Amino acid sequence: MQPTLSFEQAPPISVPYRFFLTAPLFGAVAGLVLAVLGPDTFQSRWSPGALAMTHLIVVDFMLQAMCGSLLQFVAVVAGANIWRPRLVAAVVHPLITAGAIFLASAFLLEQQVLFLVAAAVFVSALGLFLTVMAIALLRTPARGMSIHVLRVAVFGLLVTLALGATLALTLGLEEHLQTDWSLLALINVHVAWGLGGWALMLVIGVSYLVVPMFQLTPSYPVWLTRLLPAGLFLVLCLWSLQLFAPDAAAQAWQSGVALAGVLLAGGYAVATLMLQSRRRRRQPDPTLLFWRAAMLSLLVFALSWIAFEALPHLGANLRAPLWLGVLLIPGLFLSVITGMLYKIMPFLNWLHLQQQGGTVTTSPNMKQMIPEGTMRGQMRLHFAALVLLLAAVLWPALALPAGLAFTASCLWLEWNLIGAARVYRRYRDSIRASLKK
Amino acid sequence: MPEPRLIDGRDLAPPEPLELALAELATLAPGEELVLLLRCEPLPLYSILERNGYGYRATLRPDGTNEVRIQKV
Repeated sequence: MQPTLSFEQAPPISVPYRFFLTAPLFGAVAGLVLAVLGPDTFQSRWSPGALAMTHLIVVDFMLQAMCGSLLQFVAVVAGANIWRPRLVAAVVHPLITAGAIFLASAFLLEQQVLFLVAAAVFVSALGLFLTVMAIALLRTPARGMSIHVLRVAVFGLLVTLALGATLALTLGLEEHLQTDWSLLALINVHVAWGLGGWALMLVIGVSYLVVPMFQLTPSYPVWLTRLLPAGLFLVLCLWSLQLFAPDAAAQAWQSGVALAGVLLAGGYAVATLMLQSRRRRRQPDPTLLFWRAAMLSLLVFALSWIAFEALPHLGANLRAPLWLGVLLIPGLFLSVITGMLYKIMPFLNWLHLQQQGGTVTTSPNMKQMIPEGTMRGQMRLHFAALVLLLAAVLWPALALPAGLAFTASCLWLEWNLIGAARVYRRYRDSIRASLKK
Repeated sequence: MPEPRLIDGRDLAPPEPLELALAELATLAPGEELVLLLRCEPLPLYSILERNGYGYRATLRPDGTNEVRIQKV
């Protein structure tokens, strides 16, 4: 049998929803940054616009959505007790939001003090979040590979935070702080832990449960569920050694380590696509299509990485990392997150209405929470925005339409999620009114 | 004894089997039985059943199917 879901520990619906309803708004802002700053943004990964845009998406869109999901998921899947979830959400959510605004502003305005403020805010917010999450995950009696992978992902977020805060201090106190670590090595390791150790690890851990359960596929092979997190963790540890090795010596083995990580990620994408091709229900829903697009993006990312290694003149292009970044961030992560939000919010609506005492006649069914047509419309716009973003990497003159399309896609997602929250509120109020009679 | 009503939820995505089960429960006569076949254990359904005065018995078949038999108490 598949792992079971426990809803006795589920936190109040307002806990995940405040994260979910904030996340797309900052995606919309990131698109506007690209549209306003134009082609200069995509000259290299180091442009202030690219750095601001990246952090608006990875922190304020991805991190918000992932923290909200994890608070829910850990309680439901691991049956874990989250300490004061309402309080944690009330503290962590506004601080992450503020921290991301400070960080994006620091990159755009090149203000050193803002890096320091952002670091302080993130350390406070994520320090609390990580502590609560680590205690819950370590104390849970639940077993299973998903739980182990979630623990590794939470550790990955801790490392990302520590390295990010070190980077912010280095940038904020440039004249006063001397460190033995090269800035580039710090950035390399920070990015790898953030995207690989936290985000990809979380997607992998969650997929072990949700892909078979919601997409009606066979389960992932047991050997693969063990190899992926262990292999990825080993790769990340080896990759981190560049912090301590002199540049020339590190160069020799860095590309081999990175290639191993890329092959693991590509292998995971292929395995998931193969499972999806064997699903028991043929009719695809938006969540399945988002997951499939995400896995295709990850596969193209892996193939592009290999091509850049094989053809160094291509890999040396300043825009090559941007190509990889678009495939990974909007392509993989935002596609998975959007697909999951379209499944999670209707599910939570339905479940919490049932818990309020709703009956079949007073509660809408899952399909009425967010109309399928509007999810599919937003999905097409998301895919169009993704193609335009990739095209804008090749031809930066397309930055304006790409940025606007991405903004429009995020706003449409926001609208769909608000619609789901309004359905919940409407039916909750009518159930409460009928119970009072 | 009437024939039990059957919902085969093994190829349905959550919470569709639960939605179907709740719809059937609304018209389940006393003494009548509803049989639900699933690939997982429906913990949310159990708590709904307990709250609304239904009894249930879950057994695991050799093929991994969870068979839940529900009756009005």
